[in-house]
Amino acid sequence: MSLIDFSKSEITFKVVYYGPAMSGKTTNLSWIFRTIPEKVKGQFTSIATETERTLFFDFLPVELGTVKGFKIRLSLYTVPGQELYKLTRKSVLKSVDGIVFVADSNRDRREDNVKNLEDMFKNLADYELPDIPIIYQLNKRDTPAIMPVGELIDDLQLKGKHVYLGIASSGVSVMECLKGITREVVSKI
Amino acid sequence: MEGQLSSLVITKEDIETIDELFSQYLVDSQAKDIILLNKSGELLAKSGMVTRDSAIAVSALAAGVFSATNELAKLLGEREFTLTFHQGKETNIHISLVDPLILLAVIFDNKAPIGAIRFWAKKISGSIKPVLEKMASGPRQEPSQDLRKGLQDEIDNLF
Ligand SMILES: Nc1nc2c(ncn2[C@@H]2O[C@H](COP(=O)(O)OP(=O)(O)OP(=O)(O)O)[C@@H](O)[C@H]2O)c(=O)[nH]1
Ligand SMILES: [Mg+2]
Repeated sequence: MSLIDFSKSEITFKVVYYGPAMSGKTTNLSWIFRTIPEKVKGQFTSIATETERTLFFDFLPVELGTVKGFKIRLSLYTVPGQELYKLTRKSVLKSVDGIVFVADSNRDRREDNVKNLEDMFKNLADYELPDIPIIYQLNKRDTPAIMPVGELIDDLQLKGKHVYLGIASSGVSVMECLKGITREVVSKI
Repeated sequence: MEGQLSSLVITKEDIETIDELFSQYLVDSQAKDIILLNKSGELLAKSGMVTRDSAIAVSALAAGVFSATNELAKLLGEREFTLTFHQGKETNIHISLVDPLILLAVIFDNKAPIGAIRFWAKKISGSIKPVLEKMASGPRQEPSQDLRKGLQDEIDNLF
């Protein structure tokens, strides 16, 4: 649910990076944090286990600039992908305006991608948010045992959807995805 | 229910009313900060020494803590916990539900007794509630067509 604050002339959108464990969601946010200029980013908050797995969420507020006198802000979140944190995933998704689904291209993560995507659609249905914009990042394209893109698209039923090929750890398609989802959420206002 | 609202709109008048209330309560209660946020973690208003940046991060975390606590409630067969309280060496934070979508976080230093904290949190909630009700029911100020179009046209320049 976007927040329109006429007193400060600001609009804030909530974007959530969703996807299975270890697919690269936190890596996307870290890359964004490292890349964007100091003055447009807020505090990067990360609640993780000792081993860097997301336990609760990551949070990064970003200020994009001004359009027609309105400051455009994004609240970026990641969910914890591990099966264990199902309920946390759902709660982070509350009132979301747009989603970047980060899939892991490795063949041995095939089932996790499908299961996690189903879990996401179920949560969106529970929140009565069926028409939220979603874009898809097929990540880890640099790793050896990846599935061909066409097969992933069939598997996750992504025909006709916005799909990006990513290597989040070296920034490939990270900013493109952020821009893509921003364009989508803004068009819904 | 939330899904049907596409955006939450705050007007200048809403914020002025809230700011005025909060400033008064800050003096009366001797709280350090008062923060109003929604359940999804967005900062709506703040009063006190806390910077905007910190208040934004506090809001995201406070909403997270609150929703986690409520999952706990459900697992224990309770419908909802309506407040959570955390006590530190120097600082306390009291987070409570004001209406179904809105939370209030009040931060005190450690000199404040828990009874007083509860009292003030309740009192602030009580006086903020009518403002929120008015916000929800009043005529909605909509983003202009001009702004909508500007957003579409200029989004690419923002990156
Ligand atoms: N080779 C390669 N490694 C990546 C890529 N993206 C992320 N990684 C690595 O994959 C591991 C997991 O990445 P995270 O970003 O922590 O994964 P996550 O999706 O946040 O995982 P959870 O928090 O458990 O849900 C890290 O070691 C990253 O450096 C990529 O495109 N290629
Ligand atoms: Mg993570």
